[in-house]
Amino acid sequence: MTQCLTGKKVLMKGNYAIANAAVLAGCECYFGYPITPQSEIGEFMSGKMQELGRAYVSAESELAAINMTIGACSTGAKAMTSSSSCAVSLMQEGLSYATSDQLPVVLVSVMRGGPGLGNIYPSQGDYFQATKGGGNGDYHLIVLAPSTVQECADLTYKAFYLAHKYKNPTVLLADGMLGQMMEPVEFKKYPYPEIDNSKWALDGAKGRTNRVIRSYAPLASNQCVYLEELYKKYKLIEENEVEWEEIGTEDADVVLVSFGSSARNAKIAAKLLREKGVKAGILRPITLYPFPAKRLSELALKVKKFITVEVNMGQMVNDVRLAVNGKVPVELIHKPVGIPPAPVEIVKQVEELI
Amino acid sequence: MTTQVFKIPDSFKKDVRYTFCPGCDHGVAVRLVAEVLDELGLTQNTICAASIGCSVTIYDFLNIDTIESPHGRAMAVATGVKRAKPDKFVFTYQGDGDFASIGLAESMHAALRGEKISAICINNTTYGMTGGQLGPTTILGQVTTTSPTGRNLEYYGYPIKIAEHIALCDGTAFSARVSLDTVANIKKAKQAIKKAFEVQMKGLGLGFVEILSSCPTNWKMSPDKAHQRVREEMMPVFNLGIYKDVTQS
Ligand SMILES: Cc1ncc(C[n+]2csc(CCOP(=O)(O)OP(=O)(O)O)c2C)c(N)n1
Ligand code: SF4
Repeated sequence: MTQCLTGKKVLMKGNYAIANAAVLAGCECYFGYPITPQSEIGEFMSGKMQELGRAYVSAESELAAINMTIGACSTGAKAMTSSSSCAVSLMQEGLSYATSDQLPVVLVSVMRGGPGLGNIYPSQGDYFQATKGGGNGDYHLIVLAPSTVQECADLTYKAFYLAHKYKNPTVLLADGMLGQMMEPVEFKKYPYPEIDNSKWALDGAKGRTNRVIRSYAPLASNQCVYLEELYKKYKLIEENEVEWEEIGTEDADVVLVSFGSSARNAKIAAKLLREKGVKAGILRPITLYPFPAKRLSELALKVKKFITVEVNMGQMVNDVRLAVNGKVPVELIHKPVGIPPAPVEIVKQVEELI
Repeated sequence: MTTQVFKIPDSFKKDVRYTFCPGCDHGVAVRLVAEVLDELGLTQNTICAASIGCSVTIYDFLNIDTIESPHGRAMAVATGVKRAKPDKFVFTYQGDGDFASIGLAESMHAALRGEKISAICINNTTYGMTGGQLGPTTILGQVTTTSPTGRNLEYYGYPIKIAEHIALCDGTAFSARVSLDTVANIKKAKQAIKKAFEVQMKGLGLGFVEILSSCPTNWKMSPDKAHQRVREEMMPVFNLGIYKDVTQS
């Protein structure tokens, strides 16, 4: 495989880092429709995939893009699509099907302001969309939340790996700030084992009975059995794949909980609070599903207060409250949309809340 | 000496319960698809994108790898399959509601891109599976559960002539409209399906066949009467014929 830019540090936009990493992860098919602030991903892929002789389609809509990805994934191929907010809304039906079909779809979702068309400022307003699903039925998407451009690359690798390992649609949930900002990034070789898809993928039924990938379950009893099986898989994911970063929580009175771009500022705020004598720590979920709920409930036994820092009207705060289950108060510092609250602003609000 | 003149195609499953309504042309259409798959030696190199509608059960009858697509998205799913595995034979089997209403954008754009796939579309002038509502091909004057006094222009506008529209797309290699009302027409339908499959195999572009098809259940007619309706009411609006064939030009 022709590699692009491995083994040296380069300055790159998050969107390009994601696209570049996807190519290095062995993505064989890209399908997409433009929307700011993620259009660079499709632009990069259009040239690179053709150069490498891989599949690229300028889809006619996000409905088509997610379903093309579904089609490609049904053959076991590494395939992805990318989009943003109001356009990811159009993909919800496809994601629900892909979950039911147990297909390794990779979706890069670079959040912008909403609801509706909203605006192109960064936002974390699609935390619910990604973790709770806007599609129908009982399902989960695996959701990974990068916080730096380096993580945009690393977690793109991981998204392909987890999607194929668990045969479950996986979302890389970035935002307009991460997509558009430049940071140094170094591309490693794809670090994960290749997953054998030959036991289930469609390849034309040569010398075996045919395979059908379907979600239609006309009998309620079939659907019951199916969902029980699906949820065994989710239990496995919850037991094995939770990932988070924790700083200064050993003796903390107050723990900030923040993901993605807002965690960058929350991290600095926790440090500034320490300097001011406040025993602050930070827990940054890297996987939003599975959520580090168990760790939060352990911390709740010694921490006095949790405060989430988010760029939305307060979404993850609900999951922290569920995890903490009333043991201690959980507060919210937020900005509705835009660049995350500045560290000094977070410090000020924490001081008011404790 | 006896000769076998009628056999179940190899592409057809032998021991399944048949779930289309009695007298429905879907059954004939699926059989023709199976025969053509056999004759072109495609059974073990094919991936089908099934659709939502009465057509969905195609995967219960055929011995081929199949993925079910969300309603209207079969052409997008087929595009993804074909782009990922260009050496596989890929086709969709869709109702007219699926292909030409909710999925019109996917259908037209697949044709415009000249996707090397084949599509079979069953035109029964109604949404069959949901109980016979007005669809994109419901003809003027036709009574359905959502056009209780018949399709009129004021409320519903015109039906779509699918084969003609697909023929207009530059990426289409073959587009035809056929019918299953007589033995002669069934033979022609099979030839058209074969042609639509062959243009894909030759890499010429999209192969498309629209099949005028009866829905005795929702039309509330005997299978015989339903075929009479195909002839008397549908054919004058939806003329049979080949609308594009790049192998002939
Ligand atoms: C997004 C979505 N909308 C509506 C439906 C309900 N639905 C199922 S089948 C169908 C109509 C199918 O009609 P057609 O494509 O003409 O095929 P037929 O059943 O007549 O063969 C509808 C509306 C659905 N499954 N998904
Ligand atoms: S409802 Fe109509 S189209 Fe569907 S299986 Fe019955 S007769 Fe055929």
